Amino acid sequence: MTGAVCPLALLSAGTEATVADVRADRGMRLRLAGMGLCPEVWVRVQCADWGSLIVSVGDARYALSRGIAMKVLVREAA
Amino acid sequence: MIGIRIALAGNPNVGKTTLFNALTGSRQHVGNWPGVTVEKKTGRINRNGHTIEVIDLPGTYSLTAYSADEVVARDYILEEKPDVVVQVVDATHLERNLYLTTQITELEVPVVIALNMVDEAEATGCTIDRERLSSLLEIPVVRTVGTRGEGLDDLLDAAVREAKTSPHHEHIVGYGNEIEAMIASLVGVLAADKDLGDRYPLRWLAARLLEGDENALAKVKESPVSSRVQDILSGTDLDEYEAAMADRRYDVIAAVLPQVRTAGARSMNVSEMIDRVVTDRYLGIPIFLALMWGAFELTFVVAAPFVALIEAGLAWLSAAVAGWLGPAWLASLVGDGIIGGVGSVLVFVPNIFILFLFLSFLEDTGYLARAAFIMDRLMYAIGLPGKAFIPMLIGFGCNVPGIMAARTIEGEKDRLITILVNPFISCSARLPVYILFAGAFFGAAAGAVVFFLYVLGISTAIGSAKLFRHTILPGESSPFIMEMPPYRLPTVGTSLLHTWSRGAMYVRKAGTIILAGALVVWCLASFPFGVEYGSSESLAGSLGRLLEPLVAPLGFDWKIAVALLFGLVAKEVVVGSLGVLYGTGEEGDALSTALLADPGLSAATALALMVFVLLYAPCLATIATIRKEAGSWRWAGFSVAYGLVLAWTLSLIVGRIAPFFLGGA
Repeated sequence: MTGAVCPLALLSAGTEATVADVRADRGMRLRLAGMGLCPEVWVRVQCADWGSLIVSVGDARYALSRGIAMKVLVREAA
Repeated sequence: MIGIRIALAGNPNVGKTTLFNALTGSRQHVGNWPGVTVEKKTGRINRNGHTIEVIDLPGTYSLTAYSADEVVARDYILEEKPDVVVQVVDATHLERNLYLTTQITELEVPVVIALNMVDEAEATGCTIDRERLSSLLEIPVVRTVGTRGEGLDDLLDAAVREAKTSPHHEHIVGYGNEIEAMIASLVGVLAADKDLGDRYPLRWLAARLLEGDENALAKVKESPVSSRVQDILSGTDLDEYEAAMADRRYDVIAAVLPQVRTAGARSMNVSEMIDRVVTDRYLGIPIFLALMWGAFELTFVVAAPFVALIEAGLAWLSAAVAGWLGPAWLASLVGDGIIGGVGSVLVFVPNIFILFLFLSFLEDTGYLARAAFIMDRLMYAIGLPGKAFIPMLIGFGCNVPGIMAARTIEGEKDRLITILVNPFISCSARLPVYILFAGAFFGAAAGAVVFFLYVLGISTAIGSAKLFRHTILPGESSPFIMEMPPYRLPTVGTSLLHTWSRGAMYVRKAGTIILAGALVVWCLASFPFGVEYGSSESLAGSLGRLLEPLVAPLGFDWKIAVALLFGLVAKEVVVGSLGVLYGTGEEGDALSTALLADPGLSAATALALMVFVLLYAPCLATIATIRKEAGSWRWAGFSVAYGLVLAWTLSLIVGRIAPFFLGGA
């Protein structure tokens, strides 16, 4: 579990990772926390479409634009 | 008669409105995508001598309120102080839903949890110990299945009991020594401002201040204690507190959940499999276009026999009316005015119903959210978030809810652009115009022509968005995140119900606005006394000839000018007015036959006219909605002017180019 940290946007479909940090502005960070996207959370990339993604977070699935996916830093699972 | 106010709150797409409809017998619009409800809705029930007011709030992930619809929900709970908040919780997404619970309870309002969609959770083999959840959270938890109306009585009982119990149940998350000490010192300072203490729970306010919530900061800004609050906050790293507090909330949830839930087997579910295909980076857009194409072909093919049936019925009716009614003017009023005007709009009811059936299918299955994802790349290129595509799809039904749906867009400029381009999305009211003209002049290619018009509408919206982004509303598109709801197979019953409730509105509109429009046009066509009905000597003729120079370059005559003018009220009135002006005559000829026989109309003119109707000024209801949502008449006026100029220019071009393609028809 000590992989390198990279933006979520760079992961390809099928990859699993844990969120390391969310580098968005405060409002967005609070919103993402409400959606369950906060540090230590396990995510799985389901569909990667040139930067925008669909990820599973817990039981929920979200579509993220590249803008947000670049701000969510993750540590890829070994 | 004690009145009790129950507010329904919760995450988006957990079934609040379905529950609201079941509780109050309302028929508010529901769908399977987050953000259907953007405004609070109120309903009343009488129960055991209590008048209960139920308020359906837009969904929200947190009480931080990041978009316009979320602000509505938060402010209602905070400012209006309902007697009890029923948080509707999606049993299949407990962690995230309970996160909001921890925030609502901090507001110190009584809370009851409606554990909804339990059936779906159980279908995956998951079981939830409701009683244990209730005792651990110290909040009443009621099991509900909104779609089947299960658990409604228990829910109301619990809500009323909780509203009348004092002190009510509370569940307050403790944030640990350091943060609690900060909260305590902040509460101590805030308490000095009596006014603030009356309006807001101080512990909540202190916690929000520590999280750096800008809205909370604004609330204390005017207060005399503001500077002392700043003193406490300035020496601290708010980012750290914010992360720590979110952690604590999830910790509390993590402590509770394993005790109450046994997880079912998790395998690759159907939704994920479907998404593999429909959101594929290569297949996504072709599938979307194929769906649209199929829908417009269907609106023609399936509706055709029904349309023919209604036409025949109306022909019989107007022939019969001509025989029964004595005075010629009365026969003309009923035959030309009412049957000609309203009838020509009603003919298209089957097409409209099929369009609505298709739209409700998009909404109820959950595909709508995928369409937004698929379009994200395209939308990004024009400087809007992919989410902005949803208001466009809603606009296919009617631009008014389309523009309202823009409230879920986070950035203010993004929202404004989304509002301004929505009128170019061809609403259902414009469909009768296309069907009439495409059907009359393009025969078998009518479906393709209508598809072209819809694509032209989308292209114009996208092009205009790009233009606005580079000129009057510059900036970057705000990043977006949107939940993908699980696919659901809508039942035939709900699909038909949704189609019916929208379709009925179209029929109602025909009986009111369009009837009124048709009668006005009939009067104009009949007066002054003695002129030949619908001739250019009538008032309608004078009015039309006044306007004619404006549209003559486009090839439109005075009748069309009049129809377009009254079409501003509602776009169907274009068809209604033409129905009145051309008259269905004693023979009861269909309007399409009359149009085809008009030597002034060619296929190219018809196409130019359809383009004009697609793009020219939005209808009155839409103009009023733009004014309300954009907050100024300036934007509404801009929308009208921009639309008119664009419509005029494009239909001039289309009218000039089309003959080359149509073989000089």
